[in-house]
Amino acid sequence: MSEDLIFDVKNVTLRFGGVTSLNDVTLEHRRGEILAVIGPNGAGKTSLFNSLTGVYQPQKGTIDFNSARNGSSAIIGKMPHSVARLGIARTFQASRLFNALTTFENIKVGVESGQKTGPIGAMLRLPRTRHEENASDERALELLEFVGLEHRLNTMADSLPYGDRRRLEIARALGTNPEVLLLDEPAAGTNPVEKQELTNLIRKIGRDFGISVLLIEHDMRLVMALAERLYVLNFGSVIAQGTPDEIRANPTVIDAYLGSTGPDAAKESH
Amino acid sequence: MSVDEPRRTHFNKEDVRLAATCVASGLLLAVMTGPAGNPESPLEAARLSLFTGHVWGFLLFGIVVAVISVFRRKVRNGEWQSSRAVPRRSMKAYFGDFLASMSTSWWVAFFALAVLLALAIADFTGPYVPGKLSFVQLFTQLHDTRTYGYIGFLWWIINSIRLRRSVHARHGVLPGFMKTPVFRILASAFGGFIFAFCADPWLPERFSFSYFKFGGGSTTAFLSHLPTWLWTACGLLLGVRAVLGERNKTVHANRLRARQFAVSSNTSIALYGIGLFAAFEAPKFLSPFWQEAIFQQIGIFCFLAIGLNIVVGFAGLLDLGYVAFYAIGAYVNAYFSGALPIQPPFILNPFLSIPVAILVAMTAGVLLGLPTLRLRGDYLAIVTLGFGEIVYVLANNLQNLTGGAGGSGVIGNFSINVPLVHLSLNGQALGQDLDFYYLLLAFMIPILILFTSLNNSKVGRSWAAIREDEVAAASLGINGLKYKVMAFAIGASTSGVAGVLSSVKQGILFPSNFALQVSITVLVLVIFGGMGSITGVLIGSAVIGWLLQFLLFHSFIDYQDADKYMYIGALLILTMIFRPQGIWPAKRRAREFHDAEIGLGTADAVGEPAEGPLA
Ligand SMILES: Nc1ncnc2c1ncn2[C@@H]1O[C@H](COP(=O)(O)OP(=O)(O)O)[C@@H](O)[C@H]1O
Ligand SMILES: [Mg+2]
Repeated sequence: MSEDLIFDVKNVTLRFGGVTSLNDVTLEHRRGEILAVIGPNGAGKTSLFNSLTGVYQPQKGTIDFNSARNGSSAIIGKMPHSVARLGIARTFQASRLFNALTTFENIKVGVESGQKTGPIGAMLRLPRTRHEENASDERALELLEFVGLEHRLNTMADSLPYGDRRRLEIARALGTNPEVLLLDEPAAGTNPVEKQELTNLIRKIGRDFGISVLLIEHDMRLVMALAERLYVLNFGSVIAQGTPDEIRANPTVIDAYLGSTGPDAAKESH
Repeated sequence: MSVDEPRRTHFNKEDVRLAATCVASGLLLAVMTGPAGNPESPLEAARLSLFTGHVWGFLLFGIVVAVISVFRRKVRNGEWQSSRAVPRRSMKAYFGDFLASMSTSWWVAFFALAVLLALAIADFTGPYVPGKLSFVQLFTQLHDTRTYGYIGFLWWIINSIRLRRSVHARHGVLPGFMKTPVFRILASAFGGFIFAFCADPWLPERFSFSYFKFGGGSTTAFLSHLPTWLWTACGLLLGVRAVLGERNKTVHANRLRARQFAVSSNTSIALYGIGLFAAFEAPKFLSPFWQEAIFQQIGIFCFLAIGLNIVVGFAGLLDLGYVAFYAIGAYVNAYFSGALPIQPPFILNPFLSIPVAILVAMTAGVLLGLPTLRLRGDYLAIVTLGFGEIVYVLANNLQNLTGGAGGSGVIGNFSINVPLVHLSLNGQALGQDLDFYYLLLAFMIPILILFTSLNNSKVGRSWAAIREDEVAAASLGINGLKYKVMAFAIGASTSGVAGVLSSVKQGILFPSNFALQVSITVLVLVIFGGMGSITGVLIGSAVIGWLLQFLLFHSFIDYQDADKYMYIGALLILTMIFRPQGIWPAKRRAREFHDAEIGLGTADAVGEPAEGPLA
């Protein structure tokens, strides 16, 4: 294995009773790459994400994370929280913020999950706890500034406008200091201006932080602008892969997805 | 001064309100320091003091304070761009700040009055006990100038704290020498000393001037009194802590802004001060009947509710077998007192069996939690319910272990016998209720502080995250099971401590004290008060505890003790209809209830994450 892969997915099959969500999916995600997964509704994109993060356990196949750098790297069989600890962060298609916490606290939850403070330290506010709390404050502020939400610091998450919610979710995921970030339709339901901001943001995450990004998105302009390579899923199977130009020219893809109805982001955005 | 510019009104509604409250507090001070009242016409004194000369002095004081406050606010908000917009850091500014901080804490005065009123009502409606203070006497006692001086002094201390904090935030208003570590530590120690003088509840004739005779009396008693030096040491430690805490603090303007939300505001610190004061002082005004009730019912309720609040309120787990841990604590203490049919290897003083009880209850919590906390809401409730019943049935049926339904033997006393401190609390002896109450308080206050900081920490936030959305929390690396077991264990050990404390007072344990109804009652305390809010559950416990005693002794409709569950149930239903978030909800929890109403997420007590589609 010469290539430095973040995700090495081999022949993964995921079934729910009679429904096959993923059918013999093989996918390679190189380190530092912005990789996109596209496909019509129900193609199995979110199922793929859930399999990569330990939420779903595929019946067949292997998923290796970062195998070139660490020894035992199998994702399948691990609990979601252990997977997250490995350095895999994600956002959700329907945003799942902690609505009763403030913007700031939402990010802190992510930053703090890796800290050592336990209940005793937290009760007594021992020096280490205070030290870690200061560190997480600083980090959370940095991230708020990074996604441009510093003016929303004390806003409860549920009163944020839609575009801000999406960005907050990204910041929260970044708080865990991941090696790879999985974004599930981050631009769904946002307006053109917000889409442009989001494009810049994702590019910055990829280029500046060196975090690999795996992106599900329906908006083709956004995908083509960002992704270095694409995988196309249909009915749970990979039907094509390649650079944006190759995909655009691929007749199978045009048939299944691009050509007929066209990308319909609005349909799935809720 | 262009004409086109929209005219700025110099005084808005807030200014007027501020000025009015300042004037009102001036008047209040005038009444407070006026002549003492007399039992025949309690309002006479107030009437008199409003006509004496010094009322004008206080009014003037109020007006000055108002002007300063308004001015400061205008400057701070940048509404007044004068040459004085940048306040000079002088002693004058310092005193300006001080006066302003004093006038704006009128909520404190309001709260204090509300507490006193509530106490008066509680006492008034209690049963008649010979020797009990009548309402009128109570009023006069409260109207005693010294009491007011006392309140005023506390107010002053609280304001100093507020001031220090606000000064701190803006740097260096204080003159240089005041900022030196040595000065600050000494000042803090002196504060502790003053507090001992004011609030020390163990002084035999507290705060009577004859005791602390200024005119050549003996101050040695006060000075040789242990609590005096304990308080002073507390002050000293606080000072050291403050000084050390600052050393490694990089003051980041943004961070201070961020912290504003997390750290309780100055006003709530003041409220805590008043609450503490009321907790120390109020029971002394009550009749022996209420003194006992306050320990036996309200105090233990508070204790249990605070523990259950961790489980139900913070972590969002529905625990219906909470009383089991209470029973475990009580029986551990009984065992080590030698009050059970099986004898322990050595007899322990209840003080020493507390750590054992914590350990045993915590272990039981973890053992129960590890398998069951993987279950979802309703199943968890059923399993814990079963566990509570198992413990109850065991206590009932294991005759030769627990003494069975006939009750245990007599449980030992709390006693300390070290140099300077000699204490022995016998639950059955008369007249020791107040001592028990202060013992409870000595446990309660640290626990309140610990749990508050727990809730404001990483752990508290993780609990909130799990409660709201376990899937999202897991995606951030939070191990839900670990945090749930943690909540369970902390709740269980709190309940265990409550078990030890109340078992000493009860003297003999009967399994019927640990029936399912106790679990349900405590749950109602938490729900009624406001899940997740420590202040709320304390209020809930006090209100319901008072209600039960009240019902018991005003048997207007042939009330039996067992009827109380009917009233509690009715109260719960009313709460659910009119105020589902409880009477004093936590900020976070109130938010969840609001979200649930508008269809966002769930406010389910059992903390099921929204069954939202992952896809
Ligand atoms: N938890 C589940 N239980 C049953 N079927 C599921 C579950 N998750 C996904 N599926 C099925 O898998 C298929 C792929 O869904 P999904 O991954 O959400 O598609 P996409 O995200 O590409 O729109 C769908 O047919 C869906 O019904
Ligand atoms: Mg999807």
